[in-house]
Amino acid sequence: MLLDFNRLGGLRVALSAIAFLVGAFLLLPIVVIVLLSFGSSRYLQFPPPAWTLRWYEELFDNPDWLASFATSFEIAVVVAVAATLLGLMASFGLARGRFPGKEALRALFLTPMVMPVVVLAVALYAFFLRLQLNGTFVGFVIAHTIIALPFAIISISNALEGFDKSIEDAAVLCGASPLEAKLRVTLPAIRSGLFGAAIFSFLASWDEVVVAIFMASPDLQTLPVRIFSTLQQDLSPVIAAVSSILVALTVLLMAVAAIFRRGKPA
Amino acid sequence: MTRPFLSIRNIEKTYGRVVAVQDVSLDIAQGEFVTFLGPSGSGKSTTLYAIAGFLQPTRGDVLLGGKSLLSVPSNKRNIGMVFQRYTLFPHLSVADNVAFPLRVRRQPKAEIDAKVAAMLKLVRLETMADRMPAQMSGGQQQRVALARALAYDPPILLMDEPLSALDKKLREEIQIEIKRIHNETGVTILYVTHDQEEALRLSDRIALFNAGRIEQLGTGHDLYEKPASRFVAGFIGNSNFLHGKLSRSDRSITLPDGTAIQGVALDKVGPGQGDVSIMIRPDHFRLHNGEAAPRLVGTVTDTTYLGEYTQLTVLTAWGGALSVRLPPDDRASPVEKGQSIALTCAPLDVRAF
Ligand SMILES: Nc1ncnc2c1ncn2[C@@H]1O[C@H](COP(=O)(O)OP(=O)(O)O)[C@@H](O)[C@H]1O
Ligand SMILES: [Mg+2]
Repeated sequence: MLLDFNRLGGLRVALSAIAFLVGAFLLLPIVVIVLLSFGSSRYLQFPPPAWTLRWYEELFDNPDWLASFATSFEIAVVVAVAATLLGLMASFGLARGRFPGKEALRALFLTPMVMPVVVLAVALYAFFLRLQLNGTFVGFVIAHTIIALPFAIISISNALEGFDKSIEDAAVLCGASPLEAKLRVTLPAIRSGLFGAAIFSFLASWDEVVVAIFMASPDLQTLPVRIFSTLQQDLSPVIAAVSSILVALTVLLMAVAAIFRRGKPA
Repeated sequence: MTRPFLSIRNIEKTYGRVVAVQDVSLDIAQGEFVTFLGPSGSGKSTTLYAIAGFLQPTRGDVLLGGKSLLSVPSNKRNIGMVFQRYTLFPHLSVADNVAFPLRVRRQPKAEIDAKVAAMLKLVRLETMADRMPAQMSGGQQQRVALARALAYDPPILLMDEPLSALDKKLREEIQIEIKRIHNETGVTILYVTHDQEEALRLSDRIALFNAGRIEQLGTGHDLYEKPASRFVAGFIGNSNFLHGKLSRSDRSITLPDGTAIQGVALDKVGPGQGDVSIMIRPDHFRLHNGEAAPRLVGTVTDTTYLGEYTQLTVLTAWGGALSVRLPPDDRASPVEKGQSIALTCAPLDVRAF
């Protein structure tokens, strides 16, 4: 290779140091938050003078926080299902279809990923005002599904394009109807792509804050929205505890996704 | 031939202005092994896919036992197929792959188990029932695919270059297996390949495809000995093509050096006379023994001893190179490089186009 790491000499040390610093820069805030959530200081003193589970107890005693947990979780689950189903259908069209404007359509499906989220949020807010969907569960789900869809489409399209259509044809010739062949052969064969789509869609909704702030009502607040609004009033260690739980769930899901990816047949 | 079992009638398939297949007709008897042979892009797969129902021909019909198949969807045609690419269901074990068509048909479990065992025995993979496709070699995967395609006793088995991804030795091994399975099951097989040796080894009859048409249909012997066109002569076996002048009056062909060949079959030449292309197989040449006609003189520029025969390259008086294979009895006195040589051939073995 042109740039062989082992032959870089002195540069090696510098490169390693930079890589370490970047990694530390990314991870340290998370580590600090997690440590603070177990610290006894109400004023988020660091390093913590003593250790406690008090903030977690406070969190689980507060019905507002629990309601937000439930709201976030329910929305994310519905979004994961909706985005995966829509993504599956869109991916079949993009991977198998032959029609003019296919590439344009693919680009269109992916725009929510590159468009500034705040633009999307304002547009959806204005649109949902007319439909009276702001502050509703359905509104949240639609908004987050739009944001999650590109992730689902990328994950499923990749899996579907790596899947040889001849295998599905073979199932049809074996006597399975086209639908049965897709359900019994194609979907199981691309299941890692489907799981990936579900997990990334879930996460896209789970930690989404910008659109959620526009969508939220006093009775319907997702976790990131409640963190944000609570932060504006006071800086309680309970927020560190909430954040830690958010991080833990995210890490867990990423690990699950990674395991599926590795288990995927070549 | 007996009553046609499978009848392909004037099939045509066009994609916009691209003509993939035109006017292909073919009758196949029950139990026959017919091979579509031809260069890549000649329309073999397209014809096979029309039979499988993966594409609708632009024109023409496919009849099985006298009934048109075209309005029957692929999954109801009850046809078996082995594809060029590996198409085992990746998430199912070998046994579950073979059981798939039977489960789709809702057969009772005991029957399925018995049939799966019988099929794995047929392809000699009894010990691999629990393997996953990813744990098997290409040759084994294609044998499982064969077992799966035969599990539901289809009247026809289609095979689209099933061995093209395998190396030569393995390919020959599986060819023998396919031949044996054809004999044991009596299934009618339509086989696609671009490998003439494979076609000659396996088939009862060969349909030689070129540019979307069948150039010639016949036994391997027919195609080799009586090629219907220059294309067939060039595709099957090795050939020398020479320029000659045809004279209708004495039915002779004169080579550029003046050598005349009398008595050549002229059924493939048009009504006119003048320039023709003639074909002589390398193994149809003999050393000239003194009196036979024609007598063709040249200089040996290369000799290769290959045991069963000696391969010579002979430069003719007009500067053309001939490929010549001499059998053992014709090389009692070894032919040397640089030596002048006189060759002859039976006029009936010479073909004019
Ligand atoms: N979907 C398609 N669109 C356009 N042309 C096609 C399509 N499928 C096949 N063809 C053309 O039809 C011809 C025959 O193809 P095919 O039957 O696959 O050949 P073979 O199997 O003999 O290699 C080729 O020239 C190919 O380019
Ligand atoms: Mg082909």
